[in-house]
Parts: sequence; C-alpha cells; structure tokens
Amino acid sequence: MNDKPRIDKLYTLSSENRKFSFSLPLRNKIRIGKRVYEVQLKSDEKYGTYILWKNRKYPVEIIRSRQNKYEILFNDISYIFTVETPFSLQRMKVLNSTRVKAEKEIVRAPMPGKIIDVLIREGSTVLRGEPLVILEAMKMQNEIQSPVNGTVTKVNTKANTNVMKEDVLVEIKVE
Amino acid sequence: MKINKILIANRGEIAVRIMKTARLMKIRTVAIKTVLEPNAMYLSFADEVFDNTEDVSEIPVFLDIEKLISIAVNTGSNAVHPGYGFLAESAYFAQKCLDNKIIYIGPSPDAIYKMGNKMIARRLALKNGIPMAMGSEGNISNEEEAVKIAERIGYPVIIKAASGGGGRGMRIVRKSEEMERMFITASKEAEKAFNDPSVFIEKYIENPKHIEFQILGDTKGNIIHLGERECSIQRKHQKLLEEAPSCALDINLRKKMGSMAVQIARAVNYYSAGTVEFLLDSDRNFYFMEMNTRIQVEHPVTELITGIDLIEQQIRVANKEPLQIKQEDVKLKGWAIECRINAEDVQAGFAPNPGKIEKLSMPTDSYIRVDTGIQEGSSIVSSYDSMIAKLIVQGKDRKDAINHCKMALDKVWIKGTKTTLPFFRLLVRNQKFLDGTFTTAFIEKDLDRFYYNSEYEEMLAAWLATKLFVDENLQESSIGSGSDNDNDMSPWLLNKRINQF
Repeated sequence: MNDKPRIDKLYTLSSENRKFSFSLPLRNKIRIGKRVYEVQLKSDEKYGTYILWKNRKYPVEIIRSRQNKYEILFNDISYIFTVETPFSLQRMKVLNSTRVKAEKEIVRAPMPGKIIDVLIREGSTVLRGEPLVILEAMKMQNEIQSPVNGTVTKVNTKANTNVMKEDVLVEIKVE
Repeated sequence: MKINKILIANRGEIAVRIMKTARLMKIRTVAIKTVLEPNAMYLSFADEVFDNTEDVSEIPVFLDIEKLISIAVNTGSNAVHPGYGFLAESAYFAQKCLDNKIIYIGPSPDAIYKMGNKMIARRLALKNGIPMAMGSEGNISNEEEAVKIAERIGYPVIIKAASGGGGRGMRIVRKSEEMERMFITASKEAEKAFNDPSVFIEKYIENPKHIEFQILGDTKGNIIHLGERECSIQRKHQKLLEEAPSCALDINLRKKMGSMAVQIARAVNYYSAGTVEFLLDSDRNFYFMEMNTRIQVEHPVTELITGIDLIEQQIRVANKEPLQIKQEDVKLKGWAIECRINAEDVQAGFAPNPGKIEKLSMPTDSYIRVDTGIQEGSSIVSSYDSMIAKLIVQGKDRKDAINHCKMALDKVWIKGTKTTLPFFRLLVRNQKFLDGTFTTAFIEKDLDRFYYNSEYEEMLAAWLATKLFVDENLQESSIGSGSDNDNDMSPWLLNKRINQF
C-alpha cells in the first residue's frame, strides 16, 4: 500500500457548487487575508457541540454522514458537502461528462403529515407547478406541486395516509 | 362572585403567561397534564395540576368542552381562561361555562359568535360605516357562483372561510381557471379546521400592510384601544414578526383607525381584550378584515409600549370591574418587536421541524422579554404548533429596537431542531424591513432566500465536514506531510465553480 500516492489536499464541495480546498494535515488555523484565526471544535454540558471562531460560539450538529457526504447544521443552517480527494475529484469529473440528464423525477414529502387528497393517477400528464397531492401538516394544507413537465409513472400514496418526511409520493417521467 | 381559581384550558407559553399574572394577582391556577407533554414547562407554573394522562380520547382535552367543564367543576375552579387557539373563539364553549356558573375570561358568547361568523361581522361593519373590501353578500355555494361574483368585483379575489381565521381556508385566486381548484381546497380546509365548509369571496387588496388594533372593553360599556400592531411580516397568513407601533401610521390615521376599531367592538357590546384587524393599502386606505375575540400571540408588543398587562385586564373585566384606564391615559412609549422562534426549516419553505430541544438558552437583558413554554428536554410535537419561544425586544424608537433585536438574536442558543432564527437574522439586515416599506407580500415577493449567514459560516462548516472525513477515512500514513509554509493557510475559497457533481 505504501506505493499509493499520498493525499496532500482535500476538496470540499457544497451542494450549492462552492468549492473549498484544505491542505493536509488539516490544521485548526485559517487565514483570512493577512490574519490567521483559530477555529476550535468544542463540546460542553451547557452548549453541546459548537465551533468557536473569533470569540463567538456557533452551534453545530452533524445531521448525516454517508461515505464522503456530510450534512452539517451550522448556526441553524444546514449545508451538504462532499469531500473529495484529488483522485476522486478527477474521477467524478470524468463520470459527469458522460452522464446523461436524469429522466425520472421523484417527488418526496417535504415534511411529515397526512395526505388529504391525491389529484393525479398513474399515466396522468402533469405540467410544472401543477398540484399532485394535498399534504396536511401542522393544521395547514399544502399543495405538493410537480417540479417538472411529464407523465406520472407511479403513485406511492393515497388519501388519508400518514407520511414521513422524504417519503416518496409520486414518480414522474420527465418530458 | 370573584375569580379565585382559574382553570387554564391551554398549554405552552400562553398557559405560562396567564399563570404568571394570576400569581401576581394571588389567584390560584389549575393546569392540565396531558399524555403528549407530561413534563411540559407550563405544569410547573400551576398551583394545581389535573392529571389527564389516562385520557385516551382522540380529541385533545383542550378541544373537549364537556371534559373541560367537568375538570373545572371537579377542581373547584370558578373561572376558565381559554388562551388562544383551541377553544378560544368558541361561542359554544363560552356559553357552556356560563351555564355551569363558571366565569369565562373573555368576551360574551354573543360577541364571539357574531365576530366569528365573518358574514355577520361584515354586515355589522357595513352598518357601522366601517370601510371594507368589496365582496359577496353571503356564503358561496359552488364554484360557478364564485366565478360569477369574482367577475363582478374583478380579480384578484380572496376566498375566505366564513368561520375561519389564522389563514386556514383562505386562497387567493387570480383568474377564473384557478377558481374551481381553489374553491374546493379552501372549502375542504375550512370544513376540516372549523367544522364549517362555508366560504365567501372578497376583493383581494394587493400588497397591503396588516395593521391590527388592540381593544379593551369592560362590562359597563367602556371601550378603548391600545394602539396598533404591525403584523405584515407573515407567510401564508401565519405571522412571524410583529411590532408596535407601526411606522405606517401617524397620529391622525391612528386616531381614525382606532376609533373605527372601537366602533366595531361597540357594535357587539364587546368586553375583555380583542383585536380588530385591518388591511392598509399603499394609498393609506384601510379596510376592516376581522375581529379576533381572544388574547393574541403578539399581545406582548402592546404590553411593552403601553405598560398595560392585558391578562390582568381580562381578569379584572371578567370580575365585572370597570376599566381604570381612559383613552386619553393610553400613551405609546418606545418601540417593541416580537420574533416568533418556531421549530421550522427556513431552508425547506418553513416546513415544520418537530424534535426534542436538547439545548436552550435565551438572552436576558433589561430590553428583552422572552415568553416560552419550552425548556431543555422538551419536545416540539407535531400535534401542536411549532412555537419554541417569543423573543420580544424593546427600544426607544424603531431603530433602537431593531438593533436590540439583532443583538438578542445572536444570543439565542437552541439545539435539537432547526428554527426560524436565520430568517430573523436576515430580516434585521434587510433594507425594506429597515425602511418599514414592507407589505404582507414581503416574504413571497421581496426575498430570494429566507436566511442569513455571515461570510465565513459556510467555510467553517466545510472545515468541519473535512475534519470529519479526515478522522473517519484517512490514516496518517496516507496523508501528505505538507510544507510548513502551508500550515496556517489551509482552506482557499475558490471562485471557480464546478458545473455539476
């Protein structure tokens, strides 16, 4: 294994297409312009886990981590990052250039609640913005709308059923 | 008969709020313990706790009139405070209390009924010369009729539930093609929420401000107003931030709207605390919308600028005491802002984000008031509303209050669920909010994102993700040694964007 090239840098990509790079070994000092600041990850009884930066505490939470994908809650805002080595980043670029556009759109429940009504059937053609199901959560009825133009290929729910956040409700073949 | 023991027919922060004043007035309180929240904070504020955890009924106890009456009788409570939500605007509940010789801390059943029925309220307003948006004469029975009326008064129109409130059963319709769908959803939602599918139609006032007046009346016929609250920061008719007074009103307009509010209250012989809601358009025309016959969530901002304890006034009025405050005694002093810190995900369109509150600490200062029913370890359950706390700040003027708000927001510490805090952090930095020119369309039209993060927050989060990756995946032997010069300048924010991954 020793002949494997050593990693001296990591690329951390946000889901909003911003790219950060960190040299290894990872230090807890970050330079902004001419000044260097210390970043500390801490945890105590009163505050739980937090990051200390420029004398201010920021609450942090690791919501999910799967392989190289991390969802971090930082000061009440969640960020999704993919951490890539120089090799995996190269591989990803190659893969992306050959991948075709997704053809299937999966509509998921944005929040837990109860399905009040299903307005489409398998085979229905839908337009972007057209309501698919009515989801009731916290006493409000919410229209879940189609994100794309297409044909409904699968309806995974029916009226009067409870759904969890992220449950698949409808699958649509994109046109 | 004077009130000596109050059954609190509610939970959460409003239960706590009522009990705090009752304690000051040396009146005993009874709170109800439910199976959903057996360790809730409000229980510790009560003199007595009625254990209802054995109750397996489908309806929550706070909506169960028979049960509440029997609890009041069994605990020897001679008064009931309904709070807000649940049965707070049920004329039937208020009547049932009176029938059982229990003092209802609120207005008369008749006033609740008349103002609760939007068609009756509209007719009363019309009769009293209160300005109103054009609308249907009565309830609408089907979508064809709806289209006909909408065409007469002109689009856009708003469908409203006759027994509604709080945004439920309400839909804006911009063209006749949308009417059928909107009519059906509004009607269904109304039936579910209020047991009454009746809806009516009104001309939709585009981009108004939501201005409401706090009313206080006694059983001797005295009615005054305590100034206005500005509640235009709302999403889907759910208020998020309220302030008092409103920068859209001057003394003259306040006087005019205030006297109209008193007049509509007088039309139903109103007593106790109530709120008259108006829409104010860009030409400073105002339109009566509805009257809420209860204490409101946002009542603290009025309390802070008037120095009047509204719960105390409700209790005194229920004791048949005459108001000690005259209209000319009401002086508005300074500015107050309330932020509703809810367990909601602002990055997912304010979707409810129920969960356990693992850490909670709220700032304390002379200019800060916090009303909450949640403590560390409490859970935000999806059966109830998503409120964690109301952060209320005061200042000598609006600018001062906003500055205080900005400081206080950074000192709130909540872990365990996502909250509306990032939204308020954005708001206190938004030019339109600072100007005061925002309307009820602000959130939908003037914002392209609903949260604020400072320049380096994302980078720090990326650093954390990278640290986790290193700790989990990389052995020391596979990490390059790095040059010493590089050590203190690890991350570079690259401007280059990658196209897709």
